[in-house]
Parts: sequence; C-alpha cells; structure tokens
Amino acid sequence: MSLITTYCHLSSDHCSVNGEIVVTREKDAADSWFKQIYKEQEIVYPKFYKMDALSQAGFLASELIKRANQGLTDKYKDDEIAMLFANQSSSADTDLRFVHSYELNGAPSPSLFVYTLPNIVLGEIAIRNKWFGENMFAVLPKFAPGFFVDYGQILLTTGAKAVLIGWLGILGDNVEVFVALVESESEGGMDFNSENLLKLADLSHA
Amino acid sequence: MDNLKEDLKNQIIEQLNLEDITPADIADDVLLFDDGGLGLDSIDALELIVLLEKYHGIQVINPEEGKVAFKSINTMAEYIRNRKVE
Amino acid sequence: MTYIGAEVIISPLGRTTAENWAAMHANRSGISLVKQAGFDDTDLYLSKMLDLVSEFKFEKLISDALAAVAENIDPAILTSDKTIVLVSSTKGELDKNITDQFGKSIDALVTAFGLANRPVVLPNACISGVLAINAASNLINAKIYDHAIVIGCDLISDFVVYGFQSLFAISDKPCAPFDALRNGITMGEGCGAVVVSETKGIFKNGAFRLLSGTSANDANHISGPSRTGEGLFRSVKKTLETNHVAPDEIDFICAHGTATVFNDEMESIAFDRIGLNDVPLSSLKGYFGHTLGAAGVIETAASMQMMQHGILLKSLGYQESGTSKKLNVVADNMTSHPKTILKTASGFGGGNASLIIRSL
Repeated sequence: MSLITTYCHLSSDHCSVNGEIVVTREKDAADSWFKQIYKEQEIVYPKFYKMDALSQAGFLASELIKRANQGLTDKYKDDEIAMLFANQSSSADTDLRFVHSYELNGAPSPSLFVYTLPNIVLGEIAIRNKWFGENMFAVLPKFAPGFFVDYGQILLTTGAKAVLIGWLGILGDNVEVFVALVESESEGGMDFNSENLLKLADLSHA
Repeated sequence: MDNLKEDLKNQIIEQLNLEDITPADIADDVLLFDDGGLGLDSIDALELIVLLEKYHGIQVINPEEGKVAFKSINTMAEYIRNRKVE
Repeated sequence: MTYIGAEVIISPLGRTTAENWAAMHANRSGISLVKQAGFDDTDLYLSKMLDLVSEFKFEKLISDALAAVAENIDPAILTSDKTIVLVSSTKGELDKNITDQFGKSIDALVTAFGLANRPVVLPNACISGVLAINAASNLINAKIYDHAIVIGCDLISDFVVYGFQSLFAISDKPCAPFDALRNGITMGEGCGAVVVSETKGIFKNGAFRLLSGTSANDANHISGPSRTGEGLFRSVKKTLETNHVAPDEIDFICAHGTATVFNDEMESIAFDRIGLNDVPLSSLKGYFGHTLGAAGVIETAASMQMMQHGILLKSLGYQESGTSKKLNVVADNMTSHPKTILKTASGFGGGNASLIIRSL
C-alpha cells in the first residue's frame, strides 16, 4: 500500500508543511512572497532567483518536503522518484509576461520564453536533485484526485518507488499549491487514495 | 568614472533581474560567465543580446560574437564603442 | 499488452494520412519561405498550413483528427466510458485564450463527439507526443481504460516563433537534421492521432504491437541538451530492458532530430552509448518541421505508415554526417520491412521519452 508521507501547501499568504504553518506572508515586504519563503527558510540555491513563479513554487514545496522527510534523497536511487504535476492554467502566468516582452517591451525575452512550458518546473526540480526519473505534467480543469491516484499508482508499479505529486495553481496573485510525497515502502502516512488526497489538498477551487 | 560601464551594470541588473546585486558588486573586469564571477549562463547571454539592441541599438546577428564581447564589463564597453564607430 | 493503429496525419503535406504518405514517399517537404513571419517582419522558413482558414484552428484540427480516427475504428469506441482521449500539445489555442489554452477546444470535442470522459491535456514540451502515447499504454495496462486516443496538435504562432528566434534556434534554411551544415530548427504545425487499445479487433486497417516506453529527465539544463545524452540514454535503455528487446532487434529509429547543433549531437552520443549506431535512422523534421507537442504523435504515425508500406523514408535535408558519433542516417528511401522500430523525443525541461512499435 502506498502512503502519502509528507505534504506542503502554498497559498497567497501562508506556507505550511504537513498542515503546520511555517511562513506567513508579510504584506509590506519588498520581497515577493516566494522570495520571502526562500529567505525565511534559509534555502541556498541562487538559481531560484532566475526561475519563474511556477518553478519557484514547485521548487520551494519540494525543498520543504525534503526537509520534513530527512534522508529522502538517500533512500532512493536517482531514477526512483517520479514527478506528476498538474494545474489548470499551464504556464499562462509566464506566457503573459513573455507576450508583454515583445508587444510592449521591445523584444521577445529568451529568459522568459524558456519558462513558457509548464513542465519546466519538473526539469528545475530534477536538476536540483539530480533526479533522472519519470516526469509528467497535465492540464486539468480542476484538481482531480483520481488522476493523481491512477497515474501515481502506475508510476509506482513501473519502476518508481516514490512520486512527488503536485497541483501548481499559479496565475497572477492567485497561489494555490499543494505538493505531496507518496512512497510505496514507508512506515507511516495516510493511504494514497482519492478521498484522503482531496481532504489533504483542501484546495478552495476543488 | 566611465559612464558607459556604469550604465551597463545597471542595465544588466535590470535586464537579467539580478536580485541582491548592485552596480558596485560588479567589477569592470569580473568574468560575467564564470561561476567565480557573476555566474551567468547561456540564456543570460541571449538576454544580453536583447540588452544591446534595446539600450544601444546594436544588433548581434551571430550569438558566437557575443561570447567574446560579453566576457566582462570592459569587453562589453569596448564592443559597444567599436560597433558605434562603424 | 497494447495495440496501436488508426494513425492520422494532418499537415502542410496534406489533409489526410494518404496524402501525407504520398508526399513523404515523394520526399516532398511541407517547409516554405513565409514572408514577414518573424519578429521585426523577417522572412522565415516554416512548415505552415497556409490553406488552413478557420477562426478556431486548434479546435478544427483536433476535431478533424478525431473524425478521421473514427473512420478507422469500431465507432462504438469513441463514446465508450472505457475510452480516454489524451491531447498532446504545448500551446493549444494560446492565440485565442492565453489563460485557458485548451479548455474551449476540449469542451467542443466532448460535445461534438459525445465523449464519455473529459480529455486530459499533457503539455510536456517536445516529448509530449511520445509521453502521451506511453501514458495511453500505461493507462490501458493498468486496466483504468480499455482504449485511448492520442491527439497531438500545435500551431505556429507569433508567440512560439518569436520565442525560438530569441533563442537563435531557427535555421535560416529548411532544417537539415544530423547534417554537417545544420544550424537550427524549422518550426512546423499540424496534427496527428493514433489509437491505443487492448483489443486488436477494433482496428479496421490492421494494427501493431505497442511496447510501452519510458521517460527520463536529463537533470542537467532546462533548455539545453545534455552533453552526454544521459536522459535519452536512460530512457531508451529502460524501454529496451522493460520490454526485453535487445538493441540489435531494433530495425529502424525514428529520431527526434531537431537539426540544432547540440540536439543532434546529443542524440548521436546517446545512440552510440546504447550501441544503435548501425540501425537505419531518420528524422522527419525535414518533412513536417518541428511541430512541438504534435511531433511525437505525427512522427509515430508516419513511422507506422512506413511499416505498413515497407519503406523507410530518407532523412530529408541530410547530406553529410555532422555528429561526432557515427549514425546510419537514411540517405535515400529504402525498401525494408522493419519488424521493430524505436521512436524517441527530447525536449525543454530536460525530458526524454521513447517507445517501441512492433509488427504483429
């Protein structure tokens, strides 16, 4: 039986791990909300600053899950942690910025263009951790626990021993992020089924 | 103080969204693409090409040209001055 | 075990699969010089469907593809609740609605065809198509669905053209995959479809075995190919091993071959590491351009046509070897009856995917 062992939420004003708030947004801070989390949690990874919001969100959640789940990266081989992410608006947040660069700012920006695909966040997390496993990104009209359970189980029966699943709702000021680690061989956690996933994710739109 | 070089530093910070870096942090001869220097990457190099066109009206057709020109603030300034004379 | 068939190709080379095959067999390219297509009104070589006139092009293409699929299978499959449609696309109808790039077209598809399940969109850059076909096979093997229809579609838009221009990735002549003088991609647009099923009997015109493939990330760079071909090497190795296929059983490779200097070099290194140097190999980008999310589906469909017709198509645009590791690039159409073929894809985000198709 596969278990959900660790999870992380990011909303527009809170960041929590396993349901416990770890960072609360300072409304008047000069830094962006994700940068506040990065600094407050003392994460050191300069590439973070170059990422778009979608990648920053996935990156932060994966880092916090690793911290709450010590030894995670040593427990598995480099291709045994798969990733299965989804959202509703693809990379629209950065797509809009890229359009802005050539329509209003003179020239198409290459550094924005490379983030105009939703699966880039999977690449960023893979690079950070040297994870060579299976990845997939899906666009769904809303959070669909059944999709994650069905395909997550497929990944766990075709070579992966853990799957990082995630809903990355990022568009403008709207932040609705839920990332969870599912492990096939683990001591404690919640059963990986649709009911538990829906309850844990607790996403307002779903 | 060389105004062109100071402008370049500000423009680089702006164009590349370099957080936590001020013009004073970028020495004229620091290697922009060296991890011991500014640590820029290949996409940043393309962004510098956009910068040259946007702020200096210089078109770079062949990105290979950029590799030499973008070594440091000094080489960038020299490149801009040479291209403007053309 | 899964079967694959009912392949459909819609591209600048033709509106039907038969038209596409006839053009490919004659080594015709869909690429032409399009005036003022680029940023600052530069002229660009593109594989563009110049005669595609529709307010909603994405919706039209995926609907046309599904209608064509329906003619090649048992019609009851389309509306079955054991059927899922997977859509492989990077940018969908971005030009129409940037914050919901797929929703309207998907809704239209559900309504027009009476689909029981809402299609799932899989935007995974240039590996989307191969990944979606693998996902289809996985969903059927896991008994979640009995049939899956995979539709790959992407359009040429200012957005993607300007983007690839900003990366200096677009060739100044029609792309020349694996050639010594290659210097970048040619963008393309089009739509492809295949049906994956647990039942051979649903296919009206025959089918092939689909050996489920795998994917692997390079874990190296988000927009540059790995210099060691690590992800592609791992994906192909895993696909061969999980299906108990030895490298010398592969009769043909339909490579990704984008015609950028670094991508094709990376592929040569990966294939060399696996020992596939001598296997006849083609890239189909010279015919269709790089159709991004559609590429994996269109090129798999074209490979199935090659198997059906017993002809390996030449890698259009190739003249002289231009990779550090030797490859057996197909220089002229060859009569051959490949039993087992390998399809690969690599893309932004570090993704690599592969699958194997075998004749029955």
